[in-house]
Amino acid sequence: MASGDDDITEEWSDDEVEMTAADVQQKIEEAWLNEKFAPDLLESKSELVDCMLEQIQQMESNISRCKKGDFRISVHKMEIDRIRYILNSYLRIRLGKIEKYFHNILKKEAARKDDEPSRLSLEEFAFAKEFAENTENHFKSVALRHMPPNLQALEQDKRAPKPNLDAYVFLRANQKQEQVLIEPELEDDQNAEVIDLEEGAQYIMRYQPIASLVTDAAVSLI
Amino acid sequence: MFVTDIRKDFYEKVLHKRVLVLVSFDVDAICACKILKALFHCDSVQYTLVPVAGKMDWERVFSEHAEQLEFVVMINCGATLDILETLQPEENVTFFVCDSHRPMDLVNVYNDTQVKLLMSPEESIPKYEDIFRDDESDDEDDIGNDSDGSEPNGKRRRFDEDVLERRMERRRKRREWDGHRHQLLFDYEEFSGYGQSAAMIMYDLAWKMSKDTNDLLWWAIVGLTDQLLSKKIDRETYVLEATELNRHVARHNHRGDEEEDSVSINSMRISFTSELQLALYRHWSLFESLRHSSYTACNLKLWTLKGFKKLHEFLADMGVPLSECKQKFSAMDMGLKDNVTDWLVTSARKFGLEQITLSSFHAQYGFKNKFCAFDVAYGVNALLESVETEKSQEGYFLEALDCLSRSNIDKLAHGLELSKRQFRATVNTVQSLLDMTQVISAGSFLYAFIQEGTPDTRYFARPNCLGMLARFTLEAYVKMSKNRKARTLPLVMTAPLNLETGTLLVVGIPPLPELEQSSKNFFGRAFEQAGKKTSSRILHDNFDSSVIEMKNEDRSKFFDALISLLT
Amino acid sequence: MFGEKVLELVQELQRSRDGTMLPFNEDGVRKVLEEMKALYDQNQADVVSTREEGQSGLFSGVQLRHTCLERNQRCLLAYLHNRLAIIRNMRWEFGSVLPADVKQNLSDQEFQWFTKYNKSLASYMRSLGTGGLDLTQDRKPPKSLYIEVRCLVDHGEFETEDGTIIVLKKNSQHFLQRSQCEHLIRQGVLEHILS
Repeated sequence: MASGDDDITEEWSDDEVEMTAADVQQKIEEAWLNEKFAPDLLESKSELVDCMLEQIQQMESNISRCKKGDFRISVHKMEIDRIRYILNSYLRIRLGKIEKYFHNILKKEAARKDDEPSRLSLEEFAFAKEFAENTENHFKSVALRHMPPNLQALEQDKRAPKPNLDAYVFLRANQKQEQVLIEPELEDDQNAEVIDLEEGAQYIMRYQPIASLVTDAAVSLI
Repeated sequence: MFVTDIRKDFYEKVLHKRVLVLVSFDVDAICACKILKALFHCDSVQYTLVPVAGKMDWERVFSEHAEQLEFVVMINCGATLDILETLQPEENVTFFVCDSHRPMDLVNVYNDTQVKLLMSPEESIPKYEDIFRDDESDDEDDIGNDSDGSEPNGKRRRFDEDVLERRMERRRKRREWDGHRHQLLFDYEEFSGYGQSAAMIMYDLAWKMSKDTNDLLWWAIVGLTDQLLSKKIDRETYVLEATELNRHVARHNHRGDEEEDSVSINSMRISFTSELQLALYRHWSLFESLRHSSYTACNLKLWTLKGFKKLHEFLADMGVPLSECKQKFSAMDMGLKDNVTDWLVTSARKFGLEQITLSSFHAQYGFKNKFCAFDVAYGVNALLESVETEKSQEGYFLEALDCLSRSNIDKLAHGLELSKRQFRATVNTVQSLLDMTQVISAGSFLYAFIQEGTPDTRYFARPNCLGMLARFTLEAYVKMSKNRKARTLPLVMTAPLNLETGTLLVVGIPPLPELEQSSKNFFGRAFEQAGKKTSSRILHDNFDSSVIEMKNEDRSKFFDALISLLT
Repeated sequence: MFGEKVLELVQELQRSRDGTMLPFNEDGVRKVLEEMKALYDQNQADVVSTREEGQSGLFSGVQLRHTCLERNQRCLLAYLHNRLAIIRNMRWEFGSVLPADVKQNLSDQEFQWFTKYNKSLASYMRSLGTGGLDLTQDRKPPKSLYIEVRCLVDHGEFETEDGTIIVLKKNSQHFLQRSQCEHLIRQGVLEHILS
């Protein structure tokens, strides 16, 4: 897990120099919207978050250097408020999903291969583990411990809520996508529909087939 | 001291600081407050807004918020009181006063550092040299006096004589100056009155900063109208100021003939028209409005049977069927509604109601909302002085503040309903006062006591409402009375204020305006002196000096003293 | 009837949908567990008698009881799980210190869960960027930098970030930076006035 993260950081540090503040902001907004509308937890964009937080700090120090009454102060403050709101909302949504689907997420994380990127940042992973432990202990100590022996297992696999990957979402294609398989689960290949996604066009469809496209930033959820 | 450039000396000084805004309880102050708030919102000036009902509130709020405060803005409060003496502020606190109450306290006028008055200087203010005087020469005199008394010798005797002469000359001059000063002060502070509306001063500021909008203009109009309705200014002054505002109205509401360029129906349009002096007639029925407006009620003497019949004649003369008149105005027949104002004016002349129209403004936004400035002023006042017990007085102040915003039309509608109730209570009370001849003449003034007992009396526990009742009563009485002298007499009215503490609210109003003169009100001083003489327990809390609170038991001796004082 | 008690617990949750915290129904939970034990014991006895004494026909009874046991387990877990969700929302509403009346309604273990959750959330928030980021702020998109608020109760003095002290008395109105007074609006001390 740790090594995987390092790889990512290294990749980013090459690109990071070339991204301007405006780019970062745009990417954060996209990540925020995607996270908001996707039923599942998306990839963690903690580098963007960190970058943005640094930006905020810099802006705040800029402000403190300006003399009082400068018109730019209120404009900057407003901008800081807005950025902070987006960041907070983004992280809150992620936390909410982690808390709701913790079992599922942790299971996926444990089964993840080393070269796949993690869905959780380090801190989120720590939080998720603590939360899972806390909740499961609670259940065990209050109820399960007192139950008959054959029912003491928590059986989270069956019980834990899973994200509804069949939920319908609105999306906009950022690039032209050809041959997107709409119902890949069907075994009957003849009936599986494929469609082409035009660039800039908007669609509504189930989340599951386009989940990978979201990760690749080929489509954005709206 | 008076600020010369309101923008530079007031607004720019508070631009990046925190301000405490103290607002008194009247419609003009509320309108001024709304305008100032809008300006502050534009420029992100942080403020704290607190309503103050009287002097005690004023002092208390200042001491509560005094920490770390540098700027205080007072709207319709503070000009008549010695600010520095009463509030004892720190040296770095600056006060900006925008008050229509007169006379202004001379210490405020001549203070150079901490008190800034946003009103324009007036000619009636005595000059500095006539009131204040450096006392150095006197001290020298006294010291000289002391050392002189001990050892007279020849040379010194001559010296003494010269000194003595000079001293006597100085003393004589001093006494002359003192007498002159005393006379000036007496004349200056004898009468209380009102100056320019605070809302108009604020609007002027907005205009100078090019931040004025239709909304701000409308609030300035309402503030001015309130001054007219509570007879703080006379018709002439009102017409002058209204013409001034009309220039702004024309500027903001300029609509060409091109229909395509006209703006959305939802934006506010103000127009200047000749308006009937019928209270709330658009929100009531014509009949009710005629009955409850003081102009028509008094001139037609509607509390007498004859007067009532005359009203019916009047309506018949107009040509409007009685059933329509009693209908809600908005539900009247369309053909009648359009013409009723013209018919009314024509008929009015025949019945002696020449002054039934007055130029005023009305605002329209959307298809439903058309409000005349008079009605809005009545509505806001009714909300402000609501006697329902749900909220505190400050709570109602804040509601009145809210109802002026366009998004709170329902609150304004509620205010209009309350206003109708106020009118009904007023007319009923006037009727009973006249029927039972409870308006008594004391020779130099008239007086009337409102007894508790009817549910209507609770409306009059508020100063503005009681003042309105007093003016209505005075007008009615004058029209009824055969005594020619009655025209020139002022009126004092009392009403029960608080049954638990056993206090009365006392209001004194000047006589009816003759020849369009704005009358002077001398009751402020009169009340003070009568109270002192009889050591009655009176409370001079209101910023308006002609309104006081008094204990029930002291009423008779107070009035005896008042009578003897004024004859 | 089996399973009724546990249904009551679930219904209790349903009734308190508006997010208020009802007291932890210690009694109810205990009764459910007792019922489960009784059912289980009964089942055990039946299994033994089937095996040893060869009695048949008891199978459907065993099956019924087993289903009841499973249902009880599921409902009980649901009850606990949903209560935890409510407690979690309380943390986001009220901050890390719960009001006394809410605290009273939690069982000891729930309170322990809350404390641990608090700690874990705090360490997560601290780890964001440098100096941490308080995620419980900025719940609504900011419309303007300054807002007008009306004070609904006497709150006393309140210090803003830059050191100015504001006296919050009932029925006074103030114009402040939104970020400074957001938590007071959530607590109900101030009311946001839209003009």
